[in-house]
Amino acid sequence: MEGHPYGYNIPISEKTKEVPWEEKVRIYEEVKSDFRFKEFLFGCLNCGVCTASCPSNRFFDYSPREIVQRFLEEDVEVIYDMMHEYIWACSQCFTCWIRCPFVNNPGGLVIIMREVAVRNAFEATKDLLKPYGRVLLKVMTTGNQLSADMLQPDFFPDWGPKMLDNMENLRAKRMAIPFDVGKSVKTAWEVSLETAIEMYQIWRETGIFEMLEKLDPNLYNVIMDIVEENEERWEELMEEEEEE
Amino acid sequence: MGHGKSPYLRYADPEPFPILNKHSHYDHLFEEMHELEEKGEILVYRITEENKPVEVYTRTGRIKTIPAAKLWHHKSCGQCGNIPGYPASIFWFMNKFGYDYLNEPHQTSCTAWNYHGSGTSNPVALAAVWLRNMHQAWKTGYYPLIHCGTSFGSYKETREQLIFNKELRDAVKPILKKLGRLTEDGRIVIPQEVVHYSEWVHAMRHKIKELYEKEGKAKGIDVSNVRVAIHNACHTWKMMADDYPYDPEVYNGQRPAASTAVIKALGAQVVDYSTWYDCCGFGFRHILTEREFTRSFAIQRKLKVIAEEVKADLIVTHDTGCTTTFEKNQWIGKAHGMYHPIAVMSDVMFAALACGAHPFKVVQLYWNCSNYEPLLEKMGITNWKELKKEWEDAVKKISELEKEGKYDELLEFFKEYDLYEPYSKTSDGFKRKRSATADMPLFKS
Repeated sequence: MEGHPYGYNIPISEKTKEVPWEEKVRIYEEVKSDFRFKEFLFGCLNCGVCTASCPSNRFFDYSPREIVQRFLEEDVEVIYDMMHEYIWACSQCFTCWIRCPFVNNPGGLVIIMREVAVRNAFEATKDLLKPYGRVLLKVMTTGNQLSADMLQPDFFPDWGPKMLDNMENLRAKRMAIPFDVGKSVKTAWEVSLETAIEMYQIWRETGIFEMLEKLDPNLYNVIMDIVEENEERWEELMEEEEEE
Repeated sequence: MGHGKSPYLRYADPEPFPILNKHSHYDHLFEEMHELEEKGEILVYRITEENKPVEVYTRTGRIKTIPAAKLWHHKSCGQCGNIPGYPASIFWFMNKFGYDYLNEPHQTSCTAWNYHGSGTSNPVALAAVWLRNMHQAWKTGYYPLIHCGTSFGSYKETREQLIFNKELRDAVKPILKKLGRLTEDGRIVIPQEVVHYSEWVHAMRHKIKELYEKEGKAKGIDVSNVRVAIHNACHTWKMMADDYPYDPEVYNGQRPAASTAVIKALGAQVVDYSTWYDCCGFGFRHILTEREFTRSFAIQRKLKVIAEEVKADLIVTHDTGCTTTFEKNQWIGKAHGMYHPIAVMSDVMFAALACGAHPFKVVQLYWNCSNYEPLLEKMGITNWKELKKEWEDAVKKISELEKEGKYDELLEFFKEYDLYEPYSKTSDGFKRKRSATADMPLFKS
């Protein structure tokens, strides 16, 4: 019988089957060792209120109840399999968390699983996050996830004709925004260089750049070029200021 | 009233409404926070009289202190990048009420949108980003007000993790030390309350009502016939659910109070619908790279339901993602005969319109893809076409001045620009600059 006898109805992929058991256990232990794990998983009545109110469950083959149940069952094989595509359906709305009578946090478990999937550079994760590269480039280099110049009509034809109009003469329209530091086009607000430099240091110290290098080496190189250029600019400014 | 030794944990007595959670683990953090403060490990950035505090209740009956004035505006990247009238409306109210505030460039986003969307971060990085921003606010003496719902949810969660987990504090402290983001005696700066702008609007609702009565109505604006469906943002009330306002005036304390309370105070009609608890379909990564899910959910579970069940004129939100999701995913419904045109905006934008703010120069409705025009008509803003023309002329003029390099004239032009001041209103006037180097933007304009 394909799938899982207790309800996980997606057949375990051939790729997962081929992975050595020890590797699956290693990944499982990496998830479990996160300090948040014990705060996100308690008992489970199998009542399904989480799944009944889950937005992703309505459109994807995804169930927060399954996430909780598989961890309680210590089902290493299924959890490993879920970490490739299944978990990426979650909307991170945490409706499951507020509704669970046992205060389980399936959305929280998913974010730990996603983090481990990225850290271990799973192929499926790399493919899935490919279209998201533009966002990663922006947030890692500027500290803003979104800026006006990212909302190009070519990327968002489904947002309708008003979007096309919005993007015409964008610079002047941004200039007409009536508050300070909010007029920028390439960032959401005018982030100071000094602030960006501090953020780069946080990424270095916390292993975020390493994560990116494993996930997408090309993107990592582009990001590091920008980071290093800004760092050099900052050093020059500091030197100039000292001389003055 | 009191609870243990912590000055940060107080409960309403008598209970203002049937309490939803009497055994809050979350509330315990206010005792732990005080203990860490007593041990000298952290500095609690306190809300003082200078901040003109207002008290509200959470769903546990805890009294939450909301600072009204002297605020450090922690902006939202989604709002500033995509819905600029959102923060502009917040600043407009601050100016109207004569409150001192600081809007400066020395802040990053929380980066939690990215984390929830892609998993490319970790709790230590999120904590470091948050604490760097909070340290910056503390250094300026202005209390942080968080504009974004996800930042608010993430910061509440990060604070809870920091307070209860020594290993996280130990991991983040050396990083902050390298950045120079600890106090002089080596403590982490943690704010007494994490405060979302919608909580500020909630706390200010009576003042907003006064402004509407005085200035909005004088302009012929009347919102009493406007039917408003409320959408509460998941990351404000489902993340760290015990730390968000509830009020006896709003469903007797059984649903989140912010947004609903201000709409009621303004005298508009709050209309209830069956999927009020559902999310919007934003999904963090989904809105950008799996949009078929986002628009399907937004249309089928929210827009269609609101249109058919209650025939609302407006959906009021209080977060970046929900506003974007609802207003951008209407037009595409035409492809499947599921077009439900409804105006969408945040509570503060609607409140600003009601109080007489310029719909385009201040509330910046131009950027909104939803069908807001019938709403303006219904509110009595019947001259909206002229107001839009005023804004378009302003954009043209700005463009010309900039092309000609007439920066002094441009500055003068902004000084005359509606009720708004072009530069941050700070305690030292327009002089927000610390130094040319410190204020150097990441991108040269």
